[in-house]
Amino acid sequence: MMEFSEIFFKYKDLITVAVYGTAIMLIIIGLYGVLLKKHLVKIAIGLTIMDSGINLLFVAVGYIQNGTAPIFSPGHEGDAIRMVDPVPQALVLTAIVIGFAVTALALSLIIRLYKHHHTANIDQINSLKW
Amino acid sequence: MVISPVHYIVAPLLAAFAIALLSKIYKNAARIVPGIVLFYNIVISLVLMPQVLEKGMISEVIAGWEAPWGINLVLTPFSGFLTTAVSVIGFAIWLYGYKFKVRLQGGEVKYYEILQMMMIAGSLGVIITGDLFNMFVFIEIVGITAYSLTAFYRHRDGAEASFKYLLIGSLASIFLLMGILIIYTQTGSLNMAQIAERMPMVPQTMKVTALIFFLIALGIEAEMFPMNGWAPDAYSQAPSPTSAVFAAVVSVAGVYALIRVTFTVFDVEGVHQYLIVMGFVTMLVAEISAVAQVNLKRMLAYSSLGQMGLVLIAFGIGSHLAVFGAIFLMLNHAVIKALLFMSGSYFIYNSDDKRLIGLNGIHKRLPFVSAIFSIAAFAIIGFPPFSGFWSKFYILIAAGDENMIFLIIGILMVTIIELVYYLRTVARIYFYKDEVEHTEHKPSINAIVAMSFLTLFIIVIGIYPNLITGYLHQAADSLLDKASYIQHILK
Amino acid sequence: MNTLTIILLILTIGAAFTYFINAVNHKLTAISAFVTITIATGYFFGLAELGDQFKFALGDFSMQWGLNAFSYYFIYIVLGLSWLALLYSIAYMEGKARLGYYYGAFLLTIAGMFGVVISQDFISLFIFWEIMTWASFLLVIYNYYYNIKTEGMKYMIFSAIGAYAMLTAIVFIHHYYGTFLIGEALSKGAFSFNQHIFIPIFLLLGFGIKAAVMPFHVWAPGAYAKTPMSFTAVFSGALSKMGIFGIALVFSTYYITHNAGGFIASQILAWMGGITAVMGTIYALIQTDAKRLLAYSSVAQLGYIVVGLSTGTKLGIMAALYLAVLHAAFKGALFMVAGAVEKQAGTTDMTKISGLIKRMPWTFLVALISIITLAGVPPLGGFVGKWLIYEALITESNNYFLAIVIFFSSTAAFLYSYRFLFGLFLGQEEEDTKDVKEAPVTMLIPMLMLSFVSIITGVMPGLVFNPAAKAMNALGFADTNWDMTSLSNIWGNTTDLSLIGIFIIIVFILGFAVLTLKGRKKTKSVGTKDISSSGELWKEGENWTFQQDFFKPFQRAAAPLYKFDMDKIWSDMGNALEAFFGFFRKVYTGNGQTYAIYVIAFLAILLIFKDYIFN
Repeated sequence: MMEFSEIFFKYKDLITVAVYGTAIMLIIIGLYGVLLKKHLVKIAIGLTIMDSGINLLFVAVGYIQNGTAPIFSPGHEGDAIRMVDPVPQALVLTAIVIGFAVTALALSLIIRLYKHHHTANIDQINSLKW
Repeated sequence: MVISPVHYIVAPLLAAFAIALLSKIYKNAARIVPGIVLFYNIVISLVLMPQVLEKGMISEVIAGWEAPWGINLVLTPFSGFLTTAVSVIGFAIWLYGYKFKVRLQGGEVKYYEILQMMMIAGSLGVIITGDLFNMFVFIEIVGITAYSLTAFYRHRDGAEASFKYLLIGSLASIFLLMGILIIYTQTGSLNMAQIAERMPMVPQTMKVTALIFFLIALGIEAEMFPMNGWAPDAYSQAPSPTSAVFAAVVSVAGVYALIRVTFTVFDVEGVHQYLIVMGFVTMLVAEISAVAQVNLKRMLAYSSLGQMGLVLIAFGIGSHLAVFGAIFLMLNHAVIKALLFMSGSYFIYNSDDKRLIGLNGIHKRLPFVSAIFSIAAFAIIGFPPFSGFWSKFYILIAAGDENMIFLIIGILMVTIIELVYYLRTVARIYFYKDEVEHTEHKPSINAIVAMSFLTLFIIVIGIYPNLITGYLHQAADSLLDKASYIQHILK
Repeated sequence: MNTLTIILLILTIGAAFTYFINAVNHKLTAISAFVTITIATGYFFGLAELGDQFKFALGDFSMQWGLNAFSYYFIYIVLGLSWLALLYSIAYMEGKARLGYYYGAFLLTIAGMFGVVISQDFISLFIFWEIMTWASFLLVIYNYYYNIKTEGMKYMIFSAIGAYAMLTAIVFIHHYYGTFLIGEALSKGAFSFNQHIFIPIFLLLGFGIKAAVMPFHVWAPGAYAKTPMSFTAVFSGALSKMGIFGIALVFSTYYITHNAGGFIASQILAWMGGITAVMGTIYALIQTDAKRLLAYSSVAQLGYIVVGLSTGTKLGIMAALYLAVLHAAFKGALFMVAGAVEKQAGTTDMTKISGLIKRMPWTFLVALISIITLAGVPPLGGFVGKWLIYEALITESNNYFLAIVIFFSSTAAFLYSYRFLFGLFLGQEEEDTKDVKEAPVTMLIPMLMLSFVSIITGVMPGLVFNPAAKAMNALGFADTNWDMTSLSNIWGNTTDLSLIGIFIIIVFILGFAVLTLKGRKKTKSVGTKDISSSGELWKEGENWTFQQDFFKPFQRAAAPLYKFDMDKIWSDMGNALEAFFGFFRKVYTGNGQTYAIYVIAFLAILLIFKDYIFN
């Protein structure tokens, strides 16, 4: 955790700590859901939470103290120096869309699995093994 | 219209959309369009490869933003070689699957072809991109289409395999994002060449942490142990041409991504040891598990994992000869495994019992396919005079040059295990009594042509490997030459 | 183009052609195969010369094929025996299925053997070795109504272990000595036992497994017995000699230098050969199937040859090379006899048939001559070989104990030779075999030609000695001259074999004449059924031939030796390994969450230990 404490001490901003903390907590909660929950839908939800966590982390990393939104608008062209980093925001947009598609696919698979196995417990869906 | 590397990706993507539209007008469009597009890809390869070999590298920027701010596509001899191979094998697989209709329980051909085209587009994208996040996007494209294709058949096992694949694949994308995050915060760039340039300035712990995330994420894609649990299920449940594409295209893209990131972007010591050890464990566990399989496609899937393990070992050894052997093995594996899946699926269509017992004596009904399967099996074990022998031989000599006797003995012992289950299957095909009399699905002429073409490749390269060793040497050189990669892109 | 390449091309293209022509017309297949081998053999003996060489580059390596006296000697066996076996196959395989497959694989095996012998660099050697192995594997699994899976897989697994040991050695020869050429490696001492000892050991493992040396011989009885007999003639006659070829090559440094490290290895190899000879003989004694008996006998004979090779002396090598040719001749003939009996009478189970001498007299004659050669009785050729071995062991290498072991095994060889002859040909005729006809002419000719070799080498062993001496010259021994018809020992005494032969023939003819003429009036012709035993007369349908438990007293006496079952040891190892594998594959539990846990656990391990892994 060395690297994150470095960042904390650099910014010394409570909100930054809160955002980073939330992001990491989300990832951990999502991981908990994926690894330890037995119900398929809960696993899918866990995946979604992890996605949100990582996206939040990305945006947080791009933040610069007292920065403004990275949008050029008439009259504010000189603001380029004070904008937050736009690259992570672009990445996050892409990642959100991808996460959404994967979630949709996961949910439809869960429906089909339930139809076939009549159970949504992942421990009982293991006919392909060894 | 000047041919540029971006056509590699654009053509299949456009084809996917074109199929969707044209199918409304013309029923058979879904079958024909992929062929045209893949053929076009081959044409592109033939046009671009000479330029690549001459100039050393082609770097193409998208949308006018110069590298390193914009996304660029890079065709090095290595990536160009792989895209050529993927295009050719993809074309052969399309030709094989042209009449593929009977077993589509509920699905329609056009959806199948659309997904397949997008998967190929995504894989080609992974291979030729020069930007980390672009690579992530393409990996996701491949992932989503692969999940859908795995679940294409409506029976229960397809959904199960697909869900497992999805689960692990999502973990892969999360870790990939984490790795990219760390890299971005440390180097401030997403362009592979620029990251490679700035990498020496990154503190060690951050570098290694990011590397670990990448290794895990790309290891999932490249089917390394212990992250390859999804692979046997996905390969065995997907429709047969898709299994062939998985083995030939997707795994190639996965391994390429892993190697590109490990060799070019990062400069951490100890990665080579890691690759050798994990590659060997992958190979060992996969081949051991393959011996006990009763389902043909699952057995072939485990065998695929084993070969990928060997490729990773070879990359791990890291000398010029070893990398040469690794690329050769990747090529051979793609051709041979595609061939095995193609012929194997005819066996499965024609037998009532889906287990290996259903293969008894099937050579009487399908003599041609049996011969092809046997040749491919011999080739993958490494019997001369087929091409598989040369790739294994080069890798062993490279290992010998590094004095790794236990590795050599280990690889050869695993080859003996491989030999057991493949020859057992060949014996079953030829020499057991066959109860069933009727033949339902003889291979059609297009499948025969496709399979013969690939078999011819195996035999010709086996007898005279000089035909491609020149290209392979250049490919190996280009991979190991980090400085010129950086310099060429960032100039 | 080079002669050697042309011959290989003829063989391979012939193989492919034969395979495809089977689809067109079944009858043409055998003829096409025979024509191919005739062209190849004729081309070789007509045009190939000693010293022919062919160098070319293949995929970054430079390969070299060449013909030296050592190779030439083995090609006699390879091409000669193959030609005869293919002639024999025409009639033997008539009417069987999948002929294209059979002949194609046969020709490929011959091509592989030819390639092995002419290779002068290790890569070609390995390539042809593997081609030879998988082509013969295809033939081992040809008879699918036997338990082919086990026999075929046993053969393949052992061959593969040997071949891959060889490959490891080859890779390291390149690493340590920087070359793939056999000649260069030899001169740099690659095979010496004083440095990098694992290289010659692995090479010996590879060649030894092919030569069925104990304890790796377990594939041989099954594989030899269950393959079609026409191929087994080549399998046991020529293919095993490839192993001999290799062992001779590996030991050649030792032959010249007699260094200390090699001495221990040669002793070990000699004893392994000796034990092979004894155990092979003992197991041959208790067989009831003539084919299996011959198979075990082959293993034993190869043991003799290995003993000869390992002594490292001039006489020993000469004995080994001489026996190699002779074994090809008489064992090939014996397997052909078994095949002829099988084809004509339907089975080779000695408990079921007997008394075929009247029906198949020519086959009997071939069997008789081959048996006498096997047992080592003058005036036939086997005697010379046995003589040379004993002389080598006693006079040159002072290995008296091993000489006793070999003697024991030789004597026991009498027992099973007689058993073979008696079991098939002598005794009462069975009812079922009343209508058995003599084997067809195309099968008889090769058998008779091989018997002729046995006879002629008995009186003129120089025919084999001189090429063998040239071969030994190529291995590094000094020039020697061997007399055409006589044997000489180190003390200068000579035995003129032609005189012995003529003498025996004269005695035989005279004796035969005297006995028939003298007893002409007082003898009458008696059938085999005109007998009585303990006052009981023979009844219709009974067969009083003594066939079961033929050597029971011996079996009881040698019971402790029979307890040592190498086959069971290997099977147990195989089963243990399979159980071990069965445990390992449980890693893939099938539960998606478990896989996810693996990933996260692995990530955690890497993150915790990252400093140790990536420094």
